[in-house]
Amino acid sequence: MLGATGITPMPPRYRESLFWLALAAIAVMGFWWAGHSREPRSTPNHKVITWIVFISPLRDYYEQEVAEFERQHPGVEVRIIWVPGSEYHMKFKTLAAAGQTPDLFYSGDVWASYLRPFTGDLTPFVRRDAAEIGLDDYFPEIRAAMQHEGHYFVVPETVNVALLYFNRGLFRAAGVPEPTASWTWDDLVQAGQKLTRPATATDPGVWGCSRMEGWWGEWLTYVRQAGGTVFSPDGRRCVLDSPAAITGLRFYLEKSSKFHISAPGGFEPLNGFVNQRVAMQVVGHVSFWLNYNQMPGLDWDVQLLPAGPASRTGGEVAIAGYSLSRTCQHPEEAWALMKYMTRPAAIEEVVRRGSISVRRSIAEAQIRNPHRTGNPRNLAAAYEQLKYSLPIPRHPNYIEIMLQVVQPEVDRMVLGEITPEEAGHRAAAAVNDYLATFAVAGP
Amino acid sequence: MNRRAELLWFWLLAGPALAGFAFFSLWPMLDSLWLSFCQYDVVNAPRFIGLRNYVYLLKSDPAFWASVKVTLVFTAVQLPLSLAAALGVALLLNQPVRGRGFWRAVYFLPSILPQAASVAVFVYIFQSDGGLLNRLLALGGVAGPAWVNSPTWALPVVIVISLWGFGYPMVIFLGGLQNVPRELYEAAHIDGADAWARFRHITLPQISPVIFFNLVMGVIGALKVFDLAYAFGAAQGLIPGGPARATLFYGLNLYQQAFTYFHMGLASAMAWLLFAVILLIIWFNFRLGRRWVHYGD
Repeated sequence: MLGATGITPMPPRYRESLFWLALAAIAVMGFWWAGHSREPRSTPNHKVITWIVFISPLRDYYEQEVAEFERQHPGVEVRIIWVPGSEYHMKFKTLAAAGQTPDLFYSGDVWASYLRPFTGDLTPFVRRDAAEIGLDDYFPEIRAAMQHEGHYFVVPETVNVALLYFNRGLFRAAGVPEPTASWTWDDLVQAGQKLTRPATATDPGVWGCSRMEGWWGEWLTYVRQAGGTVFSPDGRRCVLDSPAAITGLRFYLEKSSKFHISAPGGFEPLNGFVNQRVAMQVVGHVSFWLNYNQMPGLDWDVQLLPAGPASRTGGEVAIAGYSLSRTCQHPEEAWALMKYMTRPAAIEEVVRRGSISVRRSIAEAQIRNPHRTGNPRNLAAAYEQLKYSLPIPRHPNYIEIMLQVVQPEVDRMVLGEITPEEAGHRAAAAVNDYLATFAVAGP
Repeated sequence: MNRRAELLWFWLLAGPALAGFAFFSLWPMLDSLWLSFCQYDVVNAPRFIGLRNYVYLLKSDPAFWASVKVTLVFTAVQLPLSLAAALGVALLLNQPVRGRGFWRAVYFLPSILPQAASVAVFVYIFQSDGGLLNRLLALGGVAGPAWVNSPTWALPVVIVISLWGFGYPMVIFLGGLQNVPRELYEAAHIDGADAWARFRHITLPQISPVIFFNLVMGVIGALKVFDLAYAFGAAQGLIPGGPARATLFYGLNLYQQAFTYFHMGLASAMAWLLFAVILLIIWFNFRLGRRWVHYGD
């Protein structure tokens, strides 16, 4: 039967089928759209290099540098993947799991071991272009940190070295002579005791020396300066139960429990050095220098770390820079980008933005610069300290072992629940159990 | 409608949901069961290692039992406290007071605040050096402990922070209370029952299904705590789970194994152990529930 308009109405069952068909089409479109890659298309015949970077104050600088690199290298396109620092490794490994490992990634000696499965060997490039990149211009300690078992895996951009930081104003006020390069642990304790001023109702007080809690930065320094270490030379056993290691742990604890130069466990003043509530801090980070110099009234400087009973050597040197993915499709172009980002002019710019130099020539120019303003005055000490610094042990599970297995025992020791001997033995036993179970070996 | 048409409609209507469940829940679950018997770091192919992950967790892992203990203590202390607080406030908000709607909103508000924000505020209150609580205690001449940095105090502090958000069980209790027939109270009142007797013999039995629901959901939620623990560590710059594993909740430990250290096999084994434990506790709950939950039958 014809309708009033002359068009035959659609039978209900067809109408229903059409409805479901439309619904299915919308669902399919939705799936397609959701899964559709939103990556920008690359220009035909361009070689695309992906580079995953922490979001940092250097973002604008990196983007300018990349734009300039692309201008100088027509045919190469660099895609920067910006990731918040806290999500960096998760993002990196997720990309790797999806078969999209970025060609270039942030690395360094802390992470170099952790990221080894993804890291390409840079040795052929480094050897070939040694003169061009100025390999000899890198400090020897930095060159050592770039390598693992004789192979290059990282080209550094920045470096941090553990130092003794001190507040010159608090030293002056207490009439205590400033630290010298020949200081030992005893000198640190004696000065710390003179600088410590108990809190009163009107004065929050001053601690002679801070104590960095919650990670290995400070206590590992003492362990190594006392002649101890974390792993046996073959990397298969934890030796934190050695008498030397325990001596280091004990000094770390006794800074508060015996010498009373540091706050008791858990009471470390927040940002104590910046707030002038601690007079000295061991380890620190050079990336804070700019902030320190912006704090009104904070007059500070650096000195070599005080020597321990066995050695002055033991503070940590940590480089940060670039590594190449072992699955990189365009290694020559990625290497060209690495060279560009670590050329002397680039390092100079990074240093200008608050860092110390990985290159000797720039460091020397920085020290000699008569127009240099701000602290530290004793900049030479930062570079001198490199000679007494060691990278962290190269173990693929180092970070997990130190933070998950060892640190809880050190935490308990700091809070007075166990002795240094117990902490050393318990930590070593737990790490050895871990190593035996996962059969992860190698220094 | 004949059986064939009925089947067709069933698959047409339930099919998408079933397909979604199969692809997005069942398959990953079964895959994680397989992974729990493997060593898998996301990048390299999974390597079958039998029961080694389970053996390691139960026998060697220094963090596993610590996280189990933290989670069980939290569940045992926090759950009764939060249920009692939620029920208490729901009873008050069920009274015919002025501005009742306003008060209900006020008490529910903390539940919609992001956990990370409230944790940051509480961590400031409990800060050892210069924190609000220790400053107040100092006024009375009492030296407060290192609340958030002490393994003894950190977990109690987390429990206190978690009690802040009892809004959801409170709303459910309120719904249950509003469904209790008024005649029962009137009859009890005429019979001379006092307030406690009315609460004990009318309110509690009448809202027992709601209590049971909140209890089951609370147990599951407490055993899976993650965001609170993560935010607690992050707010004070501690390693997640610190100090000295005092706030290393099971969910946080699992997350770290999976997404910080990429021990996906180990994390999968942890997930399946948690699943088994939750299943067991819920089963016990249902068995016990038969004795005290009244569905009006």
